[in-house]
Amino acid sequence: MEPMDIVGRTKEDASLPKATMTKIIKEMLPPDVRVARDAQDLLIECCVEFINLISSESNEVCNREEKRTIAPEHVLKALEVLGFGEYIEEVYAAYEQHRHETMDTMRSGKWSNGAEMTEEEALAEQQRMFAEARARMNGGGSAPKQSDAEAQPSSNS
Amino acid sequence: MRQAGAYSKLVSGGRSGPHALPLARIKKIMKNSSEEVKMISGEAPIVFSKACELFIEELTKRAWAMTLQGKRRTMQREDVASAVITTDLFDFLITLVSDSVPAQESLPVLEP
Repeated sequence: MEPMDIVGRTKEDASLPKATMTKIIKEMLPPDVRVARDAQDLLIECCVEFINLISSESNEVCNREEKRTIAPEHVLKALEVLGFGEYIEEVYAAYEQHRHETMDTMRSGKWSNGAEMTEEEALAEQQRMFAEARARMNGGGSAPKQSDAEAQPSSNS
Repeated sequence: MRQAGAYSKLVSGGRSGPHALPLARIKKIMKNSSEEVKMISGEAPIVFSKACELFIEELTKRAWAMTLQGKRRTMQREDVASAVITTDLFDFLITLVSDSVPAQESLPVLEP
């Protein structure tokens, strides 16, 4: 008999933190609105299902391009394929913003990746990746080079 | 427009708080989604996090519209279900919400 896994380490238990989700949901609504707990639960379940859906499709996109690592471009393509193309612009902008902040951190030396790119090289690399991503989003048929496997912290824990 | 947040990387215009979804948790869900999921780049969960925010926003607002239709101030589970049913884009969620559908909106083709 298997013991109850109350710590939630089983494969099916990965979900999103309720407190964070509740805050996000509430922020989207007028302040005097209440959300029933089971409605919150359902929203969270829907979000997890959304991640599953996009993940599967991203995986497919990645396979088709014969890449080993699911990259942001694959996720963006998946969003488009599944009808969430409207999200792409904002998602991409958030990604770019993160890249900028990451570059700042790299410059300050926190992310020493051994390659030690100069600032110009880092910026050039960044522009190249953006251009590739844009080309992909614009329906470019050519497969981009695997660009970020070495330079970015890619983990598969 | 975008605010440069000191906290998460995902502060977007129009939100008062910088709450972002935890990347490690997202990554875990991604890995659960398929037996043969590949390696996931460090940046992919960030893209997911933002996409999730947008998704939740859309679903929440549509559900809220249902709440208003019912002349209520508390969003109920059935409002979320109604939002799913009335949005083609959310067809992938129909099975998930099928037990919460309000009676008058049940689709005849829903499997029990």
